[in-house]
Amino acid sequence: MKILVCIKQVPDQESRPMVNQAKALAGYAENASYRINRYDEHAVEEALRIREMISPKTEVDIVALGPERVKSAIKRCIEMGADRGFHLYYDRDDYLSPSIKSRLIAEFCKKAEYDLILTGVMSEDMMSGQTGPMIAARLGFPSAASVMKLEINAEKQSIQVERELDSGHRCSMELMLPALITVQSGINRPRYPSLSNIMRAKNTEITEIRCTGNLPVFKYETVERISEAGSDRAGIRLEGTTDEKAAALWQLLHEKSLI
Amino acid sequence: MNHSLRNNSIMIMCEQSGGRILPVTHELIFCASLIAGRYGSRITAVLPGNFAGADSISGADLLIINSPGLAEYTCEGWEKAALLAAEQIMPDLIIIAHTSTGYDYAPRVAAQLEGGCITSVAGIEFTPDGIRYRRSGFYGKLDLLYRAGKPPLVITVLPGAFPTDDQQAEPGTVSYIDAAIDPVLTSNLQFMIPDQSNTELEHAEVIIAAGKGIGKAENLQMIREMASFFNRSAIAGSRVACDNGWIEYNAQVGLTGKKVAPLLYVACGISGSMQHIAGMKDSKTVVSINRDPDAAIFRHSDICIVEELEKFIPEFIREAEKHRT
Repeated sequence: MKILVCIKQVPDQESRPMVNQAKALAGYAENASYRINRYDEHAVEEALRIREMISPKTEVDIVALGPERVKSAIKRCIEMGADRGFHLYYDRDDYLSPSIKSRLIAEFCKKAEYDLILTGVMSEDMMSGQTGPMIAARLGFPSAASVMKLEINAEKQSIQVERELDSGHRCSMELMLPALITVQSGINRPRYPSLSNIMRAKNTEITEIRCTGNLPVFKYETVERISEAGSDRAGIRLEGTTDEKAAALWQLLHEKSLI
Repeated sequence: MNHSLRNNSIMIMCEQSGGRILPVTHELIFCASLIAGRYGSRITAVLPGNFAGADSISGADLLIINSPGLAEYTCEGWEKAALLAAEQIMPDLIIIAHTSTGYDYAPRVAAQLEGGCITSVAGIEFTPDGIRYRRSGFYGKLDLLYRAGKPPLVITVLPGAFPTDDQQAEPGTVSYIDAAIDPVLTSNLQFMIPDQSNTELEHAEVIIAAGKGIGKAENLQMIREMASFFNRSAIAGSRVACDNGWIEYNAQVGLTGKKVAPLLYVACGISGSMQHIAGMKDSKTVVSINRDPDAAIFRHSDICIVEELEKFIPEFIREAEKHRT
């Protein structure tokens, strides 16, 4: 069985995107720090778990799209236990539509014949949740979004999943392989890299594939402007030392008869 | 005429349960009618399903895609129904609710139509140059304003982002397409309603909610202790707190969890993603404690405290004890 996990490298919560004069997205500051999108980390863990349950012969590949820096995120997945890494090199930091990302990744997938593609339910920075289902559509695979539990049925060549629905409900369904699943964060606890895998990752080459040519960005939506999120409440900030703030909070709540 | 509304046609996908059109559909119609009000666009509401008939709805023409294979939701079936309807309607814009069904199939529809897609839209704006779509990103800290590319554009709209239409508008026409849509790659097995009752949370006047910032299970003790100073209080958690097993899923507040509206909501170490805000925004008073001065939760709070939880909460407990009679 061949599994592909699509991961994204995201800036951490403290690293803010920069805007240009037109207030459009213009990459990140040089000192920004990046990590694997947490939802994708759960997808990597799930792939490794499947390999452990089914057969050690199961191959787990990683693919990520972006500039040079994303290699470190791919490497981290190999340290977790993935077999191979593929870097779709694209050296720009402005907005790239999920429509384009999914085209590039689907093109890559067509050459490799994966039985299962896993990815996170969304990225933590853009939170669109589009790239996964779009890859599936472009490959003609069935897909299920926001999965909390999955199990492969090797005999039937299918996968059973439990999706999270609204207000805590769930439903289970069966998809024929090949399929694409986007996983929700509650599905597992991602492992830490083992020493032996860290050593192995040092000697594992990441295959780079250049995304060149004219991408039809004009066809799709763009982010025109970025601004501070608005406030919908008064947002009084308590000042002073910790104990002064604690006293002020007690006082404010007491005045409202809440305590 | 707006360049992104070449056919001046808007398609919405009805949100339904067993053939019954759910109220969120009227929010989608409201959103569509804002655009139609400006550009005179035609609005068609598409209802996939397997039933004999349906009443007309106000504010839109209704197109029923009828097939035995559409008796219940599958991603595959809804995608095919939307594509079939789009062929007929030739929409410039397709509006779908950002629900667990909507975000499952909407991006696929966009990919199949080679259109752009914008999910979890919270608002629309009009400029001389056309429509803009607003959504939240970067951990809820920033607002992103999008413009469409070549039509069609697919958007998913957050439930609650638009009011329901007044349903005073003229009912539209009703038409049917008998289709042979049969999902072959997917089959539903079971619908599960886990025991979600949490009467404590539902009746609480004060909710102390824990997020990623509490860091470890042991810190729940101070959250509980804090709660003990309030009458009719309960403890809740963000998605991360529940995923980590610190808080039970039946006490998760947010878009996929519970919606709460207590007199007082205290968010402890919660960053404030739009998914969480959707579950607590109707609270009377919101207090937030977070060490990140930039945390999105502060934009949705009445009282903001930039502090480490492990320092502040024990201090607050000491303060509250002083006043205890």
